[in-house]
Amino acid sequence: MIEARDVSVAIGGKRIVANVDFDMRPGEIAAIVGPNGSGKTTFLRALSGDLAYSGEVTINGRDLSAMKPVEAATMRAVLPQATTLSFPFTVREIVRLGLLGGRSGALPGEDERLPERALARVDLDGFAGRFYQELSGGEQQRVQLARVLCQVWAPVLDGKPRYLFLDEPLSSLDIKHQLIIMNIAHDFARRGGGVVAILHDLNLTAMYADRIFVMHRGRLAATGSPQDVLSDDLIEKVFDCRLRVGVLPAGNVPFVLPQSAA
Amino acid sequence: MADQSIAGAGIMATASDGDRSGRARVVILFLCLGLAVAVLLSLTSGASDASVVSVVGDWLLGAAPGDEALSARDRLIVYDIRLPRVILGVLIGAALAVSGAVMQGLFRNPLADPGLIGVSAGSSLGAVAVIVLGATVLAPFTVALGTLALPLAAFCGGLATTLVLYQVATRHGRTSVATMLLAGIALAALAIALTGILIFMADDRQLRDLTFWQLGSLAGATWQKIGSVGPIIVLALSAMPFLARGLNALALGEATAGHLGIPVQRLKYTAIIGVSAAVGASVAASGGIGFVGIVVPHLLRLAIGPDNRYLLPASALLGASLLLLADAVARTMVAPAELPIGIVTAIAGAPFFLWILLRKRGVVDL
Repeated sequence: MIEARDVSVAIGGKRIVANVDFDMRPGEIAAIVGPNGSGKTTFLRALSGDLAYSGEVTINGRDLSAMKPVEAATMRAVLPQATTLSFPFTVREIVRLGLLGGRSGALPGEDERLPERALARVDLDGFAGRFYQELSGGEQQRVQLARVLCQVWAPVLDGKPRYLFLDEPLSSLDIKHQLIIMNIAHDFARRGGGVVAILHDLNLTAMYADRIFVMHRGRLAATGSPQDVLSDDLIEKVFDCRLRVGVLPAGNVPFVLPQSAA
Repeated sequence: MADQSIAGAGIMATASDGDRSGRARVVILFLCLGLAVAVLLSLTSGASDASVVSVVGDWLLGAAPGDEALSARDRLIVYDIRLPRVILGVLIGAALAVSGAVMQGLFRNPLADPGLIGVSAGSSLGAVAVIVLGATVLAPFTVALGTLALPLAAFCGGLATTLVLYQVATRHGRTSVATMLLAGIALAALAIALTGILIFMADDRQLRDLTFWQLGSLAGATWQKIGSVGPIIVLALSAMPFLARGLNALALGEATAGHLGIPVQRLKYTAIIGVSAAVGASVAASGGIGFVGIVVPHLLRLAIGPDNRYLLPASALLGASLLLLADAVARTMVAPAELPIGIVTAIAGAPFFLWILLRKRGVVDL
């Protein structure tokens, strides 16, 4: 259970996030959507413990501001938008960093093999020996996800749910890997963990999210199930764009929806 | 254009499937052997003809009779002149190389080096202040601390420089390399100018003392000097292995290191204080010896990768060996006179640094 009450964040005197309430239960994928600059990433960074905030955040009943880095690292793993390196680490060396805290939750003795298994899950089988800096942006993103998965390999540890915080996990991925990543998130939630993801693709959001939090100018504009939230009015108000939900393109213009995936 | 040496190393990395810890252990073993050889050669080379055989014989047999035994003069040369010099060289080589590796991890940049970004200049300022003002303005300080005054002042100078540098160059957990190098230049210029004022005030005897700060030399090594800076360096170096895992995580950025459970603030301050102590003590004992901190970790990253659990101990070993080698060159190049070792490391290190810049062009965003 993650609960945030009246969370506000100011950076350099400017209020980026204002009075946001946020709740999510384990077993759910919570999607945060909204236009660029609406405060999504800032809110997730506050939730990750990176930024000072006013208001209250609890994870599994524990006050976030009173948590040590080690405790927080046991409860949640965070995937940033992009990670650049200055040193020539191999893919395996990066993924292994996820095991730093030593609480992956895998069976005893399995930790050594987790990097391989995590890489296989993000469709990077055989990439362990490659250099991170040589990979494409989308591959680097998946390496980081494999590292994040190692950190919270078991979605439930000591009877308590754990969480994945994903900041635009799909931004540099092709459609196949977008689906793979969302299936990993879905599987993590199904097995008792929770996922908070910032997403831009409204179709994938509608397909996978249990709950949507729509942010607009630093505030929460709407929250609820995809059916409740994704309406013509809301999209026009928040994204400043006249779109209509559920309307097929005219004539013979092709369109491809992720929902059609076999 | 793809970076060729990285691509070349890629083939080797694939062979072991990205796990370079085995290779790192082998390299460290060889570095241990290399250091042992370097120590032995340093102990036995020089104007006196005390040979390897006679020194080892003396260790094994005590004062053995016959031609191989050390004369009293040889023993004096080996134990009171060469041995302190070798120990000081090992300590300072290790301190400078490890400090370089830790700074590079801290700033997340392979170009960070205590000498390049002004930390050594700050330490020099502290040391020169004690030499020039020790009998007058700073008298209470020098009287109270005795032989520790010099290394302590150098430590404070280095610490102040590093702290200012970090504050200037880091915003929102991201260190800008351009800002870091430029701020380093500015701070070094300031420290050198203030040092200049002190030198201007110095008398003739102090000027002679000061000369070697500018150039760097192991020639003044004595047991007393080792007694005052040795413990500081050993203490600082023994803290570094505890930083290795944290520095590895820091390679992913401060925020991500925190997400992995690393107490980032504590890590940063331990690293800064450790580096300042090690560099300060080194500068206090031998003046400015440049480029060890940038050359050694860079070479090792090519061989064993950037994992600090192996990089830090390997840097200590290779730094110590290379400094002994440089000292041997310094002692023999213009024998019977002696070059300052700082000149040797700069002549070898500066072109190397340019080579790194050429390789990194386009890879590292300056």
